[in-house]
Amino acid sequence: MQYLLLIYTQESDYAAMDKKAAEALSQEYGVFTQGIVKSGHFKGGERLRPTNTATTVRVKNGKAVTTDGPFAETREQLGGFYMIEAKDLDEANGIAARIPGARHGSIEVRPIWPMN
Amino acid sequence: MMLPIRLYGGRVPVIKENPMQYMLLIYLNGAELAELDKADHAKLHQEYTAFTDSLKKNGQYMANNGLAPAAKAKSVRVKNGKAVTTDGPFVETRELLAGYYLVEAKDMDEALGLAERIPGARHGGVEVRPLWSNG
Repeated sequence: MQYLLLIYTQESDYAAMDKKAAEALSQEYGVFTQGIVKSGHFKGGERLRPTNTATTVRVKNGKAVTTDGPFAETREQLGGFYMIEAKDLDEANGIAARIPGARHGSIEVRPIWPMN
Repeated sequence: MMLPIRLYGGRVPVIKENPMQYMLLIYLNGAELAELDKADHAKLHQEYTAFTDSLKKNGQYMANNGLAPAAKAKSVRVKNGKAVTTDGPFVETRELLAGYYLVEAKDMDEALGLAERIPGARHGGVEVRPLWSNG
């Protein structure tokens, strides 16, 4: 089964970190990523630019309307994701708990809907 | 996030001049979708397939996935070294994240042009976010 692990943390926390703390966090992510690559769980992953770079598009009556900012304003913001292969939701949750962001925010675990 | 490798179906994106990469997050209104009948769903599926095929043809496609309904989501938080799992999505909104595309486009305008062609733009909205790895 494939799962999408969505990382929600407060962007303001990250922005307030000094260089050393940011590097330490980046290193933790590196170790975590290497770990799940080695164990064969890793399918993909990306970090997203902050929500102030987001634009949202809606099409109403055939006309596209764009607005600045994310689709939903939330206290914690989607900052990145991992796509993983796991045997079940329990294993996926276990992997999610090892993501550094699980300590600073929350990881949403969503099963992929297989298409075709 | 240091990523050693990209494994999106083993496909390496076509390298263009100054390629930028974007995540198109598809948010759908569940109540609106519940009103669709089987024929509507089949048509929608066809529209998505046509959109995905056109991205592939244009070398703009990196990856895409649909997500199982939010009712199947779990959220994990670690507090004092202990993982706490709760049912449901992290954010409760009227419209829920239902899928995504990762695309290459030359700039935000091109990415927005792709976003408005996603059927979900009519049934909710599509959030376009640049990936950190850009530039």
